[in-house]
Amino acid sequence: MDAIFELDFDALIVGGGIAGLQAALDLADQDFQVAVVEKDTSIGGKMIRLSKVFPTLDCSSCITTPKMSAAAHHENITIFTYCDLTSLQRDGRVLTAAITQRPRYVDPDKCIGCRLCEYNCPVYVADKEEGGFSARKAAYIPFSNAIPQIALIDVENCMLCGKCEEVCPTQAVDYFQEPENFTIRAKTAVLATGFELTPVENKQQYGHGEIPNVITSLQMERLLAPHGPYNRVLRPADGMEPDAIAFIQCAGSRDKSMGIPYCSRVCCMYAIKQAMLLSGSLPLADITIYYMDIRAFGKGYEQFYQNAKAMGIEFVKGKVATIDAGENGSVTLRYEDQNGAGVTSANHDMVVLSLGMIPGWNPEGTCPVSTAADRFIHTIRPKIAPTLTDMEGVFVAGAAAGPKDIVDTITEAGAAAMEAAKYMAAMETARKAVA
Amino acid sequence: MTDKKIDNETTAAKGKVGVYICYCGGNISDHVDVEKVRESMQNIPGVQVARTDMFMCSDLGQEMIMQDLQSGTVDRIVVASCAPSLHETTFRSAISRAGANPYIYEHANIREQVSWVHHGDQATDKAIRLVAAATAKAKGLKPLEPIRMEARQHVTVIGGGIAGLRAAKDLADCGVAVALIEKSPFLGGQLAQLERLAPTGDPVADLITELAGQVLDNPNITVHICSLVETFDGYVGNFTLGVKKRPPEIDREKLASLNPSDRTPGEFIPFTGVFTESIPAHAEEFTIETGVVVLATGFKSYTPRRGEYGYAEFPEVITLPELIRSMAENKSAGKFLEVNGQRIRSMTMIHCVGSRQIPGIHPEDESGNFNEYCSRTCCSATLDAAGTIRQSYPETRVFELYRDIRTYGRGQEELYEQAAKNKVVFLRFEADESPEVVRSDDSDGFPLRVKVKDVLTFGEEVEVPADLVVLVTGMEPNNVSELVDMMKLPVGPDRFLLEVHPKLRPVELPVGGIMLAGTCQAPMDAGEACSAAAAAAVKAAALLGRGYVELDPFVAEVDLEKCRGSGACVEACLNEGALNLVEMEVDGEKVQRAQVTSALCLGCGACVAVCSENAIDINGWTLKQYEAMVDMIVADEETA
Repeated sequence: MDAIFELDFDALIVGGGIAGLQAALDLADQDFQVAVVEKDTSIGGKMIRLSKVFPTLDCSSCITTPKMSAAAHHENITIFTYCDLTSLQRDGRVLTAAITQRPRYVDPDKCIGCRLCEYNCPVYVADKEEGGFSARKAAYIPFSNAIPQIALIDVENCMLCGKCEEVCPTQAVDYFQEPENFTIRAKTAVLATGFELTPVENKQQYGHGEIPNVITSLQMERLLAPHGPYNRVLRPADGMEPDAIAFIQCAGSRDKSMGIPYCSRVCCMYAIKQAMLLSGSLPLADITIYYMDIRAFGKGYEQFYQNAKAMGIEFVKGKVATIDAGENGSVTLRYEDQNGAGVTSANHDMVVLSLGMIPGWNPEGTCPVSTAADRFIHTIRPKIAPTLTDMEGVFVAGAAAGPKDIVDTITEAGAAAMEAAKYMAAMETARKAVA
Repeated sequence: MTDKKIDNETTAAKGKVGVYICYCGGNISDHVDVEKVRESMQNIPGVQVARTDMFMCSDLGQEMIMQDLQSGTVDRIVVASCAPSLHETTFRSAISRAGANPYIYEHANIREQVSWVHHGDQATDKAIRLVAAATAKAKGLKPLEPIRMEARQHVTVIGGGIAGLRAAKDLADCGVAVALIEKSPFLGGQLAQLERLAPTGDPVADLITELAGQVLDNPNITVHICSLVETFDGYVGNFTLGVKKRPPEIDREKLASLNPSDRTPGEFIPFTGVFTESIPAHAEEFTIETGVVVLATGFKSYTPRRGEYGYAEFPEVITLPELIRSMAENKSAGKFLEVNGQRIRSMTMIHCVGSRQIPGIHPEDESGNFNEYCSRTCCSATLDAAGTIRQSYPETRVFELYRDIRTYGRGQEELYEQAAKNKVVFLRFEADESPEVVRSDDSDGFPLRVKVKDVLTFGEEVEVPADLVVLVTGMEPNNVSELVDMMKLPVGPDRFLLEVHPKLRPVELPVGGIMLAGTCQAPMDAGEACSAAAAAAVKAAALLGRGYVELDPFVAEVDLEKCRGSGACVEACLNEGALNLVEMEVDGEKVQRAQVTSALCLGCGACVAVCSENAIDINGWTLKQYEAMVDMIVADEETA
């Protein structure tokens, strides 16, 4: 398919998570015209899906939504959601990005976000945004603070009953919408393509993620979120209030059996944070964190860890070897107890796998930027200009260049914006010199 | 930004208040009955609507406020949510987008001041009173215009380490003039005290020479060595710094050896820094007029107390920086590492010395401080040194005594693995069972023994014989108390400079126009410090890029009808020049009257307190507004 239109910007930001938004804001505040291309239906990335954030325990929404809103309303920023980057190439002085807009089956210019389609849709689907613990409709707005607030129809599950089209007050539903291709040309780009969780399916010893009441850390985020699926913490398999909860650290990091030898950098802290929040909502529950090394290295992190210990959260040094289903929905862990008991096992009502990070995007075939052995984007001057890639005028920010917490991500996004601004300033100087 | 005209209708209307109360996703609603607060507000005269939302700062929450403004339902806004430092600007800009004046807004902090510190009915009651007080004030708010001042297109970077160099270079590349102020005679800061960086192996000399060279070559940057900021004045966009340049107070002989005429600017002197120019012979003072200040004042290495793991008692106990320097200065190959002429058969490295201190376990320093934080860079530096020693000097045995190995960054876990492969022996101790370094009197010839209870072998008591003990010392912030006092900067409990918010505004200080970069904020490695510096630079560039700054209009205003020219306010004024008596004509008579210079006014209200005629008031915080708030706070519950 040919591109139906072309757009010119100063800077292209690939990824509308917190890294991309911060880079976009820092460039737009300098009067550069910025395009943000996001693959998901909403901007906000992983951060908007979290409950609270360490070490301040601010609610994540309180920090993310203002940045989302500021970017969405900025006169110099244009946001493209639900878009795939199919190619990003340098063509002389210009970067050319080929973008495919996936169909929402709802006309974004007509939709007013009234949710009538959602209310009237008869199809219920497990809601991935809520860890699969609650349901959403096949016609829906992704989540309550999504930007943009535009509905979409999940064609995989839609049964074409026509109810949404009937009730839509603005005739926005369009079952015949096709993908649209367009081109963005820019002087510079920032790759802020983020991360995904390490796939627990690959870990045989942990039951491939199929053991009841063994959940992922992002699922726990949703259980702890104020507007989460149950409004309280319950065991998903039977709705029991758990009395003993365990966190398994390095589940998908520092683990060569999963092909992920590196440290994912955030899991120690988010597990401690979740443990603290749990002890708030379930004051009588026993909470245990099984770990190899506690890596509380950021500002205020060590103090946060010591507070958690003082609160009575138990820290057990040892990598959990295997996880098995126990009796009555409990979960059995096998590990080496370094306090003398040797190889032993323990039962918990519920287990959280502190999963690590893998890259959110593989540039191969799309963009000639290199990746390193860890498959994250390769940076060529990590000690002196950490956002430089091996592609001219293309910079990287946040977890796209390796696991990173939110604080480091936001700082790095500012640095990437600085590099992009300098690159454009140098281009301008060169242009003037020629002219 | 475009000029926002005052909407005349808004000015004329008398306080149609909209109250918007946030649940803060449970942060507030877990302790405050938010719906009860809303109901109470509806009974207050002048309140047109009272609404609640899970996240008022979200787009939908803002949208709700904007719709009420645009429909004319309300013309004064009260938001009850978190501290205004978080989202005041968020709500002001939403009000602006709705076409209204952003100063018709009042904020009630019912999170930090209520739900985080009170519980149950008391919390709800206090929230009701605070929000009611805010509505009372809001009714009397009038539209204001920010004070717009030209901003000097100039940035001053304080500190010539890697972060300061990075920030200076980045800003200069964007066309901003930069003054770089360094207190020592050399550039490069603490990084110059190292040899190469883990895990990339980048030689420090190359990195600093490159960056300092670019700084020295850039015509937009003026470097001032041997200089200290002694006075500080002004406001964002228009600061004045008094700088003193003076010969350094270091050993004359050492200075002479470092300062010969044959050095060329840009030359790197190992373990010293980059030479820029001859050291000044005399003190001189000058001023810098600048728009933004970037603080990059860095860190110093922790110095162990006398007797801490035998330091300064046993000559065989040294710090990691001392080991690094010794290894760099003596690179002879061999079976054994040699330090200070001694053959090292066995060395023990003890982690977390001066870091991760726990009150009750570790002793405080002479000022009563603990370094409770992790210094972040030392694990990798230690593993790198240990691995190098094992590879270069295969007969030297290396033991690492650690609490947690924190090889978090890219390529760092490989260092750990490499050290283990190279047969570095790891022993793990608990914080409350620190290793002990003792003089050895055994005949095996090892001068020291390190006793440790090793968690990895189920708590076995191990004694490691050692020719050398290396203390892995962490970072402490440089003492910048003079800058802190002058600029009124916040410092965290860890004694590092404290940013506005670690995620919302990580490189800004609450004093407008002052940024922070690098290890003056927290321990960081070189790459992280460079990221922070570039992020600070981008904020500075954006701030100056508009050519002007806007100051809040919360400044004094004189009511000339009432002023009798007593001059009491001028005397009480805390900021010289903000208030003056000027001559003017009233009814054909020449009289003295008070006049405010808005840009200099601090809005402190000292003048208001002393005026016997009530002729002076602070815009946005008038006496009448205060009275209305107090009345509402002390009102009976039925009215509140």
